[in-house]
Amino acid sequence: MNRILTELHRILRDEGTLIFLILVPLGYPLLYAYLYTNEVVREVPVVAVLPSSTSMGREFVRMVDASPSVDIVLRTSRMEEAKEWMRRKEAYGIIYLPNDFERNLQRGEQTHVSLFCDMSALLYYKALVITCTDVSLKMNDAIRLRLMPGLTTRQEEVSTMPVQYESVTSFNPQSGFATFLIPAVLILIIQQTLLLGTGLLAGTDRDLGKRPHQVGGKGMLARAFACIIIGIFTCTYMLVAVPHLFHLPQLADALTLVTFILPYQLACTFFALTLSAFVPNREACMLLFVFTSVPLLFLSGISWPESNIPMGWKLFSYLFPSTFGINGFVHINTMGASLHEVKTEYAALWIQSGIYFLTASYCWRKYKGV
Amino acid sequence: MFPFLRECRRMVHDPLYLSSIILPPLVCYILFTSLMAEGLPTKLPTGVVDMDDSHTSRSIVRNLGAYQHTHIVSHYPTAHEAFDAMQRGDIYGFYLIPERMEAEALSEKQPTVSFYLNEAYLIAGALLYKDMRTLSELTDANIGEEQLYARGAAQWQVMPILQPIVIEPHPLGNPWLNYSVYLNNTLLPGVLLLTVMLVTVYSIGSELKQGTAQEWLSAADGKILPALLGKLLPQTCLFFSMALLCDAWLFGFLHFPLGGGLLPMLVALFLSVLATQTFGIFLFCLFPWMRMAMSAAALWSVVSFSISGFSFPAMAMSPAIQMLNNLFPLRHYFLIYANSALNGYAAEYAFTSYVALCLFLLLPLPFLGRLKRVLTTYEYME
Repeated sequence: MNRILTELHRILRDEGTLIFLILVPLGYPLLYAYLYTNEVVREVPVVAVLPSSTSMGREFVRMVDASPSVDIVLRTSRMEEAKEWMRRKEAYGIIYLPNDFERNLQRGEQTHVSLFCDMSALLYYKALVITCTDVSLKMNDAIRLRLMPGLTTRQEEVSTMPVQYESVTSFNPQSGFATFLIPAVLILIIQQTLLLGTGLLAGTDRDLGKRPHQVGGKGMLARAFACIIIGIFTCTYMLVAVPHLFHLPQLADALTLVTFILPYQLACTFFALTLSAFVPNREACMLLFVFTSVPLLFLSGISWPESNIPMGWKLFSYLFPSTFGINGFVHINTMGASLHEVKTEYAALWIQSGIYFLTASYCWRKYKGV
Repeated sequence: MFPFLRECRRMVHDPLYLSSIILPPLVCYILFTSLMAEGLPTKLPTGVVDMDDSHTSRSIVRNLGAYQHTHIVSHYPTAHEAFDAMQRGDIYGFYLIPERMEAEALSEKQPTVSFYLNEAYLIAGALLYKDMRTLSELTDANIGEEQLYARGAAQWQVMPILQPIVIEPHPLGNPWLNYSVYLNNTLLPGVLLLTVMLVTVYSIGSELKQGTAQEWLSAADGKILPALLGKLLPQTCLFFSMALLCDAWLFGFLHFPLGGGLLPMLVALFLSVLATQTFGIFLFCLFPWMRMAMSAAALWSVVSFSISGFSFPAMAMSPAIQMLNNLFPLRHYFLIYANSALNGYAAEYAFTSYVALCLFLLLPLPFLGRLKRVLTTYEYME
């Protein structure tokens, strides 16, 4: 018990560990949630190029402008002017209505609307294409009625849309960026701050001439307990308070969440302690651990789908608690899964806890350092 | 010249120093580009609930299976079971065809098919949405076409009736919607700049920690500027090599779009490396003790990936963030990349970004006196 208090005291007194084990878990989630708080891109600036005399063309552009996703910043008849707006980054897309736009429609022929989109963010493209497609579907209905005057509205609807469709976006109704990314980031922060925090502690030992085997198994356990005690507070704050504060989905059943996070915290702690045994000085863990946050986020399969991660990298990703932690937490928190539905991740985390406990005990008892 | 040679010796004798310059970028170059080698994720696990089991519904399911992003892994008897499978993560979405769909369609009762997508996995959800929506439109078109013919419409009348206005998207610079192009062009330089930041702070701080700061300064006759230049130049050479490797890998080997030519991109990346080095010096002047400076460098660098706006655009972030992101070299690199390589516009349209990167180079100048004072008087504390 005394040893645990000593470790806690050390963590609170050392600026480095204080930052990584306490301040980062408190501050980073707020920063990230704030960055993505708008969830979606609204009012992407777009130029409309349309011939001067077309009432239907103007109607099309007006409907696009009225949508929440696109903002028509300029209407012009000159393509060159539109391109210049794109080059000056005053617009991220061009809607081009050809000169025969209206004539084709009146003759009962098909007409084509071209969209040119800046691809520096895929969300610009998504906003522009979905908005214009929706507007075109709406206008198409009106045009058809005129083309086939014999038809009643009902007949027209049935003949052009014999089967209706609806899309149900589950778990993230507005397809928001924060809802998708923040839960994963929160879980990753737990692992990465433990890596850096324990790395700093181990590095300080080494700087003071104390080698891992001199710290010993008991020293390691005391450190683990200190991390877990701090973890109880930081996890509660990050996984309960932060999502609540930023109105992110929280479908988790409290008991399920606690039961799942327990092995995650254990696995992360012993994983971090295992690696920290090899840290030769304080700075090494910064130089070698910090960059891993970015690849680990991608290896979890939250962004690039897990089904499409090459087998070799997938096996590699199983080494890290974050892979199972992120997927399990997203399922529980964002998708309301029960423990039964995340049993693979849950079991994997317990296995990792066991293995990394053994490796940590071994390293801290036997490893003498180079 | 002497501090330069001295630094080279330190580098060779400290394996951590050298490996932390080369390893992180190299690992990430290989990892990210091989992870996303496919470009656009295909064959995502998808489920089907076909409660109709008619000629038409089976043909819809067959068509869905032929789409690029969809891979039908399972049929479920009820929506409930499919939803459970989605919650378990077996599938990213499923397509639901209700009972008597075919019969109702033929008797003009307009049945409704639904698709359920798991948007907690945003990319997978968006790609499946695209496939399923296209399929539904085409299904309508096919049935609608037959019904119009049955009513006596001529062939030339059919398409204009079904779809008078056709939308033709032209994604500029990345017509394949390739995610590797979209992300890796900024991710890889981002990891390189993160490394630059940490190594710069580490190399200056380690002089204080090892008590060799006086020796370092006297190698440059006690002048701080030559001492710094001599110290950072060997690193700059290595970072430039890693930058060259990055561009060779992206544009040479992977043939990513390079509309504006290689020169603006090389200049941008070299300038970003220098800007990050000077920003590192600046950070060390602000927090002239190792543990604080390293922590600040680490936190700053990790935020750069989000704040530079290459995945979630900066225009959708708050105005305060849009000002703050100017302090991140990666933000300016990203803007130059989008302008030059992706869109092929002239360098003058990214003029402000080049200027911003150059301004970073001046950042530490007012603080050099302070840095020298720290180096000559400070003692490393445990």
